[in-house]
Amino acid sequence: MLKIADLHVAVAGHEILKGLTLEVPAGEVHAIMGPNGSGKSTLSYAVAGRENYDVTAGAVTLGGENVLDLDPNERAAKGLFLSFQHPMEIPGVATMNFIRTALNAQKKARGEAEISAADFLKLIRAKAKIVGLSDEKLKRPFNVGFSGGEKKRMEMLQMAIFEPKFAIMDETDSGLDIDALKMVGDVVNSLRGPARGFLVITHYQRLLDHIKPDRVHVLAGGRIVKSGGPELAKALEESGYEQFIEAA
Amino acid sequence: MSTARALSALETALAKRAEGLAPARAQAFGNFARTGFPNRRMEGWRWSDLSAALRDAEPSSAPIHQAPPPLADDIAGLKPFEIRIVNGRIDIAADAAPEGMNCGVIDAGGDIMELAGNPVAALNAAMVKKAAGIEIEKDVECAQPILIRHINEGAGFSFAQTMMRLREGARATVIETFEGAGAAFHSHSFYLALKEGAALDRTLICEANPDAVIHSLFASRIEAGAMFNMTALSIGARLSRHEARMQFVGAGARANIATAALLSGERHNDFTSAIGFLAEGCETRQTHKGVVRDKGRNVFQGKFQVDRAGQKTDARMNADALLLSDTAETNHKPELEIYADDVQCAHGATSGALDERALFYMRQRGLSEREARAMLIEAFIGSTFDNVAHPGVGEALRHRVGKWLEGA
Repeated sequence: MLKIADLHVAVAGHEILKGLTLEVPAGEVHAIMGPNGSGKSTLSYAVAGRENYDVTAGAVTLGGENVLDLDPNERAAKGLFLSFQHPMEIPGVATMNFIRTALNAQKKARGEAEISAADFLKLIRAKAKIVGLSDEKLKRPFNVGFSGGEKKRMEMLQMAIFEPKFAIMDETDSGLDIDALKMVGDVVNSLRGPARGFLVITHYQRLLDHIKPDRVHVLAGGRIVKSGGPELAKALEESGYEQFIEAA
Repeated sequence: MSTARALSALETALAKRAEGLAPARAQAFGNFARTGFPNRRMEGWRWSDLSAALRDAEPSSAPIHQAPPPLADDIAGLKPFEIRIVNGRIDIAADAAPEGMNCGVIDAGGDIMELAGNPVAALNAAMVKKAAGIEIEKDVECAQPILIRHINEGAGFSFAQTMMRLREGARATVIETFEGAGAAFHSHSFYLALKEGAALDRTLICEANPDAVIHSLFASRIEAGAMFNMTALSIGARLSRHEARMQFVGAGARANIATAALLSGERHNDFTSAIGFLAEGCETRQTHKGVVRDKGRNVFQGKFQVDRAGQKTDARMNADALLLSDTAETNHKPELEIYADDVQCAHGATSGALDERALFYMRQRGLSEREARAMLIEAFIGSTFDNVAHPGVGEALRHRVGKWLEGA
């Protein structure tokens, strides 16, 4: 599914990722843990195609297809979704119109039929209920005046609507209370399936109580320095990252 | 005319035309001739050098064309009462005027003209003998929109005037369009008397040829309890300047002014306004949004002048610009001049580029760069057209923004 091979990424001339290699097969959920500044967000931005995240070497493929030459929206249409660590407020942009336009742009790029306004309204209302966003919130400009937790719910709402093939969740758990963590787990678990993959970036074990990962990787100094099963996350919670920082 | 100044070919031609004018008009021409066309060294014209824009203008009257271009479908759909001013020639079907409205071609001039106070308006006063006259009778609500089309064809100069009066308690909607393929200089002065309790909704749409030079002046006296609502959209021209000079002369009058300029290529647009608060408790909300790409140039100058009698004035002005290229330019000059001590006045101005983080976010969700940019620009223009009383007119404005964005 998602294959990252020897990825080097520089931001403003500084190399952040220094040969990162990782494979998440279809049907699996992998977690990435790592200390601050290890390159976790750089990884998510580089895979999603953000400008000024310069891939200087390496390859990223999704379902066997090279994504590095694609625009961010083309990557989205191929089924790549990024749940942002710090979702934007976009004043003046109506939430429902934005999400529907984005969904239809993806569908159009894939040669699928667009969704009608009425069907979309039904869809977004149903999913909003699951993620715990009220109708009033959907009527606001995008994320404007939302709390940190509500913004993360909006990320999960979009993930539930877009049903991506592969989702990267960049610290979706930060700023969430226990109920919201469970909601994130519910959304991910409802989407889990043999044709989908997830890469969950987190600092803490607690999200992984709700989303049971198949593999856990430690990212430090721009590389994956250790991989293991779910037990690795628990071990990290106890021992911390210090050993990896030194190793990197 | 001052001998110290070299006259342009256009000024020479105009001086020739002004020979033998009746005293009042000759005096107006004298007022123009003292400075000639305003240039960047003059206060208020620093960013809109009309003299330079007219350097190569054709020094002859624009020819009169009989067949104006067809009216845009969406505006035609509003079934307006149409007044055409083609290269300065007025065409009014007075017999077809809606009930409660009197109109026709009348003598130009009037006491509001003294509000104008600029050389181009003085020139206009000298050159125009007959004006389009519109009067809405007392307490009449004129539901049919009044459309004034300014159509420039060919080359040369043209001048026109509209004089409008809304009697006590009258209400009306006016749409003004500046259109046509002409590379001409067109000057229009619009004098409005808004009597007690009257309300006018004015929409201005400037879609002129990129080579045209346009000066439109709007001057108004607003009496007690009257309401003036103005919405404007300009895509500019070689130089288009839309000026509003208003005075609140009666208590409790209100004005909303919302202007937007969408400028590409080398188009230049200037919204300049000066509002005098001469009576108690008047209120104004003014916003301007400029979206500029390529080598476009956006100018906004707004002034609130609160007289000692203007106690309890509540006036706010905001001008924002979005620059879409390194060569795009915007110039803002908000001014407050306050002589009363119990007022609330504020102004603000911002300029910036599109938020790259928002653009990436939207593209990550599937929008192309173009779609994301268009959505953010529309969001920036935001509520500019929300105050338009007639929903069809608001729709026509939004439709034009959409069309502009397709080319952006």
